[in-house]
Amino acid sequence: MSSEPIFVLPGDRIDASLIPSHEKKPLRLGPGLRHVPPSDLVPTLAGQLVTDRQKNAIRVETANGRYIPRVGELVIGTVNKSAQEVYFVSLSDYTAPALLPQLSFESATKKTRPILLPGALVYARCVSASTGKADGLGPLVGGMLFTISLGMSRLLMMPKKAQQGRLVVLDELADAGVQFETATGRNGRLWVDSDSTKAIIAVGRAIQETDEKSLGVDEQRRLVKKLIKELS
Amino acid sequence: MAPPAAELSHLPKADGSANFSFGGYTITAAVNGPVEAQRRDENPFEALVDVNVRPAAGVGGTAERQLEAILQPALRHLIAIRNFPRCVVQVTLQVMEAPENAYVNSKVMQPRLNLGIIPSLLHAAMLGLLTAAIPLNTVASATCLAVTNATAGSTIKVDPSPTEIDQATSVHVLGFTAGRDLLLAESEGSFTAEEWDRVLQTAENVCCRGQETGNDAEMGGYGAESENVLHFMRSVLEAKAAESLHWR
Amino acid sequence: MPREAEPSLSERTFTLQAISEGLRLDGRKLDEFRRLELSFGDEYGVADVKLGKTRHVQLLAKVSAEVTVPFADRPFDGIFQITSELGPMVAPSYEVNRPTETEVLLARLLEKTIRRSGALDTESLCLVAGQKCWSVRVDLHVLSADGNLIDSACFAVVAALRHFRKPDTSIEGETLTVYTPAEREPVPLSWLHSPFCATFDFFGDEGDIVVVDTTWLEEQLRVASCTFSLNKHGEICQISKLGGRPIEATLVIQCAQMALAKVKEFTDLLDAKLAEDAKRRDKGGLMAELSAENER
Repeated sequence: MSSEPIFVLPGDRIDASLIPSHEKKPLRLGPGLRHVPPSDLVPTLAGQLVTDRQKNAIRVETANGRYIPRVGELVIGTVNKSAQEVYFVSLSDYTAPALLPQLSFESATKKTRPILLPGALVYARCVSASTGKADGLGPLVGGMLFTISLGMSRLLMMPKKAQQGRLVVLDELADAGVQFETATGRNGRLWVDSDSTKAIIAVGRAIQETDEKSLGVDEQRRLVKKLIKELS
Repeated sequence: MAPPAAELSHLPKADGSANFSFGGYTITAAVNGPVEAQRRDENPFEALVDVNVRPAAGVGGTAERQLEAILQPALRHLIAIRNFPRCVVQVTLQVMEAPENAYVNSKVMQPRLNLGIIPSLLHAAMLGLLTAAIPLNTVASATCLAVTNATAGSTIKVDPSPTEIDQATSVHVLGFTAGRDLLLAESEGSFTAEEWDRVLQTAENVCCRGQETGNDAEMGGYGAESENVLHFMRSVLEAKAAESLHWR
Repeated sequence: MPREAEPSLSERTFTLQAISEGLRLDGRKLDEFRRLELSFGDEYGVADVKLGKTRHVQLLAKVSAEVTVPFADRPFDGIFQITSELGPMVAPSYEVNRPTETEVLLARLLEKTIRRSGALDTESLCLVAGQKCWSVRVDLHVLSADGNLIDSACFAVVAALRHFRKPDTSIEGETLTVYTPAEREPVPLSWLHSPFCATFDFFGDEGDIVVVDTTWLEEQLRVASCTFSLNKHGEICQISKLGGRPIEATLVIQCAQMALAKVKEFTDLLDAKLAEDAKRRDKGGLMAELSAENER
């Protein structure tokens, strides 16, 4: 962003000048930071320290690891089983399922609620269990699910990914005339749909390869050219 | 002795993984977590830490169980376990290579505890936990020391070889957090209280060397401190973070 | 431990659809293997096998030998055993000391392919009949698994055994001497033939689409699978087809032909790697000295 990225390890001391201060807004702590009373901030993750002076926020940015749900994040879940009023939805493998009330789908009533079989995908937003009100974005039908790193899913959800994130594969594929639809979950999942099987595979591979090899803009363009050639 | 080497996130299926080699030992660590704990052993207030040490040859025996029993409380102390109730953090440590003594034919089953391997196991586990983005309270490092008694008095050898361990009168493993707190201490053999004081002092110097600076802004000067494992871990993790967050 | 993860409906239908169109998610052809990489450690008898580039299968096989007492009913044979374990390193659903079905099947197949096909001459491991023999054991560690565990595991075990050297021994009268590596160069095992596994997975309603080297996701969706174990001479050690949809006999024969071609590839790769490793070890070593003498 603005200056050299600052790398922190758990337990490091954070210099006071790095912590944003704003007269009115309260300081917001993102993931990877712990407040030790009275006034110390201690990182708990190894990553780059990111501060946003406008929002008066500070966090530690990491790209790997397992997804830990946070309120307000969009995720793609798999329905495990259905109970009387709720679906049990798995957000990542081997973790306890999240609850998705069946009435939280758009314009769902007791009679018109969607029926989802185990294994169906849903696009949803995480809300705190105490409020009890979920905001289902709806089921994802067909298509294919690809696993990506948490860093990549955050990148894909940026509004201006080409400028800020140097991610151009999707735009390049679309410019080349490939038609597809995507949905990104913050839990490291990418759903892709298209009429053509080949196109879905191409989109999935483009994202996965960019993710795994941390490709730059030029390399991404080259990859897309290669994939387009295979498509035709 | 060769400087430490590490490879991070090389296992695609695990949440975090690291390969750490130093002093003839190569350890692969895989960390999965926080995942759902089994009903029978879940704790409603904190996460469980499950440590699993697997030898290169043979199935694990009592020696491995003892290593696990030494490492588990240390890791439990480092991980922010209160953040993840009813969960488990699995740390699997696979010994890939151990230094061999060319003058002795090795036996498969080693019922004896091998203290020399503990620092490498701890460092591999630390790197695994950090790549899995599991919140930690602090980082730590450990070292192995061998005390040899000669007529002229005892000498302390840092990072001893297997032969030196065989000849030593006592062997000690000490771990310190970055904040200079003693994390683990295991000793074997006979030694005096005075020797123990010296061992403690030496180990603290080895583990916390150059830690006064603390901040990575002042990390420029390598040189004599290049073997410090905490510095080494910081540099490999920093390089990895820079690579995976290259778009920042 | 938690349940094994299951693929979602979309993944199921899409993967099957793609395979029926002859496409795979990683861009391979149906009969294309992932790249197999083999490297040997500094010690003898350590083989590191990697299948595929990023989403891969990674295994480490380590051979060790020690002198023990032979079994009472087989006084002229040494002891040879293969142990394989899938731990939580592979996935949190694998528990220590509680073998899953995959694990048992893998152990059985390795046993049938390598031990019972007589690849290692166990009589050569005997030192003093009924009293002393070598016990050779292979430990197979799975570090990461994304399908096709059997073929890669078998390759790793055979590679490690072929690479292994046991300490040299001598018998003078009644005394048995085991030399340390510093005293005498260790000697290779008496190896008779190198069997390898080739697995074929079947898809489609009729089970007529053959796919090799399947990933974990594909493995979950197959209708049947068949493993051939054979050596480069085409001598089949075993064929196992455990359950699943019945397969046409002609298809089985076709697969056997493909298996032979694949096994020849495996053999060539292993021979090349062993030769490369021997060269690396001999640099300036004993062999170099000997050849220098011959030139004179």
